[in-house]
Amino acid sequence: MPQQREQGQTNGAEETRQEETARVAPQTDAQVDDLDALLDDIESTLETNAEEYVNRFVQKGGE
Amino acid sequence: MPQLRVERNDAGERSGGHEHDHDFSRIFGVETEYGVSVTGTEQPCDAGQVAMMMFQPVVSRARSTNTYLANGSRLYLDVGSHPEYATAEARTPMDALAQDAAGERIMARLALDAQERLRRTHGEHAAVHVFKNNVDSSGHTFGCHENYLVRRSVSLKTIERELIPFLVTRPLFSGAGRWTPDGFEITQRADFLDDAVSSATTRSRPMVNTRDEPHADPDRFRRLHVIIGDSNRSQAATWMKLATTHLVLCVIEEHQRRGGISPFASCALADPGAAIRTVSRDVTGSAPLALADDVPVERERTALDIQRVYLAAAQRFVADHADDMDAILPDAAQALELWEQALDAIAAGDWESLAGWVDWAAKLRLFNAMRRRHPDLDPARLAQLDLEYHDVANGGLFGSLTAHHAMRELLSADTVRRAMTEPPADTRAALRGAFVAKALETGAQWSCDWTHATLMLPVRADCELLDPFSPEPTDEWRRVMALMG
Repeated sequence: MPQQREQGQTNGAEETRQEETARVAPQTDAQVDDLDALLDDIESTLETNAEEYVNRFVQKGGE
Repeated sequence: MPQLRVERNDAGERSGGHEHDHDFSRIFGVETEYGVSVTGTEQPCDAGQVAMMMFQPVVSRARSTNTYLANGSRLYLDVGSHPEYATAEARTPMDALAQDAAGERIMARLALDAQERLRRTHGEHAAVHVFKNNVDSSGHTFGCHENYLVRRSVSLKTIERELIPFLVTRPLFSGAGRWTPDGFEITQRADFLDDAVSSATTRSRPMVNTRDEPHADPDRFRRLHVIIGDSNRSQAATWMKLATTHLVLCVIEEHQRRGGISPFASCALADPGAAIRTVSRDVTGSAPLALADDVPVERERTALDIQRVYLAAAQRFVADHADDMDAILPDAAQALELWEQALDAIAAGDWESLAGWVDWAAKLRLFNAMRRRHPDLDPARLAQLDLEYHDVANGGLFGSLTAHHAMRELLSADTVRRAMTEPPADTRAALRGAFVAKALETGAQWSCDWTHATLMLPVRADCELLDPFSPEPTDEWRRVMALMG
């Protein structure tokens, strides 16, 4: 799928069209532009205490 | 879409039946339960307290934790401190998606507003987390229920036999993924589901709930309440979940009208609960699933085999109804294309190519990359990443994915913003939304449910809205609106 790279950057006209019709892009297999940069980004925003973050989430059940 | 109405009226007149009895129009709705937690507080504070704080603005406006919004949706605090958002009636999967995305934003706004107040008493690092997922850290589960209006002619027996195999194998592209100490699962829910079809949801968890509240003419419709699904963050996955299920229901309804052998007769499962647990642990889609005893010839099929049967039937249906597809499912061709791509990729062992729209694939790619980067990664970190993906209030992870073009979005930010205040224009929700907006604006006392709008003050008046397909004002509705000035 050679167009993958280009799909990350939509131009203004395309964006407007998408908005008007809310159509589905035929190829939704987005390609991450840089996995390392993505991981850096994610790690920089995570709360430091993983244990606390996870264990605090206890719900009483619903449905 | 003015010409659609003409077509439907024609069909109705020809056969002497009602509008929509002979077409494939459908009402879609998604009910999402969110999980709540709080971190970083200087004094103890539990999720129940935080959920109540989130709903304080709702209570002060509606005098209740159960209300309807100007976009036609329902917002309430469910048992166990779950904030819940039920989308207004939508005619298309895309409209339902927009409403669902609006729900995420509304929850985030409530949470961040509560967080601001919480920080005054519990310290500046207090953080409120609102998870659009289905399992907490100690194994409590909660749901994302899909509603589909289905013609009454489709029996529960038919649903059990013909729809369940699809729902059980659909997680190949609709699963939200879950890290567990015992390995990765492609669904959040597989370990918590029991019977295939049942009337309860809290004691036992069936895959399809039979509680028959059509919120429409009960002689003509039933509401199919699907419980088996995961909460999706990916917009494309949410859309695909609704679009493919709709197409399968269309095939089932058409078969009910025409008779003959069901195209899905060969897919009935011996044990749907065991099957989904197998599906959930198999990223190859190739583990054998036992078929029901009365399925001829074959004893077992893989999840991919079963999905291919459904895809082929959906492709035939779309080809047969090519001229009506804009009315039945806009973008049906894209749905079929994505569906086929997903199955092909999984069959080829290339699930990673689906990471741009399949939630579980996005997560698994991320977890694997994180483990390569940190060979000694603390399992708690993976559990945290998993939860962070679903945190619509303070979670940065999902936003990072979209910012890095690692996750596709189908809706523009403007579309989502509009859906926070505007109901779908082509269903009953338009009437409910306008009623709620006017009641809030004029300070009237009011209440609502899916089929009624009731004014208490300045005067008492009520209108029934029984046709979910109709945005046309009724005389009763006009009267109620006029009474508010």
